[in-house]
Amino acid sequence: MPLDSRTYEAADIAAVQELYHANGWTDGLPIVPPTAEAVQACLDWAMMPADQLIGVEPVRGLAVTAEKLAINAVMAGCLPMHFPVVATAWTAMMQPEFLMHGATASTGGCAVLVVLNGPIRLELGASGGFNALGNSDRATAVIGRALRLCLINLMDVRPGAIDRSTLGHPGKFSFCLAEDEEDTTWLSLAETRGIPKEASAVTVMAAGAPRQIMNEWTTKPEEILETFAAEMRANLRHYSIHPGNYALIIPKQLREHLQAAGWSKADIASFIHERARIHRREWAEVGKGAVVRDRGDSVYPAMESPDQLLVVAAGGPAGGFGAVIPPWLGHKSHAVTVPIGACIDCEPPKQ
Amino acid sequence: MTFRVLDPTPEKAPPIGQLAPRLGSLRGKTVGFISNGKEGTKGFFAHLDRLLREQHGVADVVMRTKSNYSAPADPHIVAEIRSWHAVVSGIGD
Amino acid sequence: MTERFVTAAEMMSRVLGMPDYRFARIGHPVSSATDAELAAMARRALEQGQPLLVR
Repeated sequence: MPLDSRTYEAADIAAVQELYHANGWTDGLPIVPPTAEAVQACLDWAMMPADQLIGVEPVRGLAVTAEKLAINAVMAGCLPMHFPVVATAWTAMMQPEFLMHGATASTGGCAVLVVLNGPIRLELGASGGFNALGNSDRATAVIGRALRLCLINLMDVRPGAIDRSTLGHPGKFSFCLAEDEEDTTWLSLAETRGIPKEASAVTVMAAGAPRQIMNEWTTKPEEILETFAAEMRANLRHYSIHPGNYALIIPKQLREHLQAAGWSKADIASFIHERARIHRREWAEVGKGAVVRDRGDSVYPAMESPDQLLVVAAGGPAGGFGAVIPPWLGHKSHAVTVPIGACIDCEPPKQ
Repeated sequence: MTFRVLDPTPEKAPPIGQLAPRLGSLRGKTVGFISNGKEGTKGFFAHLDRLLREQHGVADVVMRTKSNYSAPADPHIVAEIRSWHAVVSGIGD
Repeated sequence: MTERFVTAAEMMSRVLGMPDYRFARIGHPVSSATDAELAAMARRALEQGQPLLVR
């Protein structure tokens, strides 16, 4: 099947860069030229015809095809083996409960946090170890970046245009990590959200920037988790009081204490749900007294229920650090988990 | 070395929208407000309501607030537009 | 539109197939405006908006 997209000619690599930058088709960084061959290779790997409809974005009535996702994935630096993850993550973002338009247009400036689970992490070399929230490996770097390029090019989510982010944060370049499933006794994030261990899955969450905590002075789960809860309470005070998904990233050093004490992710979520809450009157302590009014005794939990907590085992082996990743704004957007599927009754690609 | 590279955008022209017919006047009409419910909108729309009635003889003003200010208007609000002569809505903060 | 969202409105007009769609601009922000400022914004909205609604 021939590709549908318009083709441009550029004399050399520098000309390619200027073509894409000048048209507003990049995130400011250089892109990999999306040639027909490279795009077709992604589609072949995923066994998707170019015109396969991934979904229709409802606010614009825009049909998104596999071809257009693959072009942006190649630009981000994806190899064919990365493309099924990009397509699955985009499918997750297009679920109505994710509220893609609202989340990506908002002045709140969130990014799309992506968590990888299952065997695909090992196939891609996606590392859930050192620097998990930074540049840990090629796969997570390019998968996260591909999603931002798709937003820019397919959804016009550009700063000052549809992207009204006042500040944004660096996760808008790429915000993808793999869970360290091999070095934990816990269920994986995807398993806690209903996906069998044998399947690979992608979870997306409209997320603010990570906030790093440290507590290397105790081995007691309640004390370790209290530090995470305190950071969540700070988010309720300093940013937004509305409940929603929070992600906790728990590296090995802290994780071992929790596991040794027999705490599961469900135990963690129950504890955090109880401890991460504030009274409205606390807003007066942080300069927001004007909106306390007569509701000072109202209690605001960070989450409506424990299952809104996404606990992820990731990070390097040393350091009593953890991270709290808050939601864009309450529960306007819900985290979505989608398994990465192989289409078992599709026609094979026609030669 | 010449590169042949592909367009990453949808390239599809959006369906051309149609402007609804304009009114002859606002006198005696029903105007609906679709508010995002953010801080300040109550006061703003209250003033607009008063001005429309006092200065332009609008017969009725209907106030509707979206259930989620980051999402398009709820379907039941959009359906109600049919029973109004004009809509006031916007983007703001 | 409040002034700081004018470009968003222009972009959405284009995306939804009505690139020349006209709208009123009323200053910014609404969230921290006084009642007098909100009244002034409402007057501005009406001055610009009324001609857009009628022939």
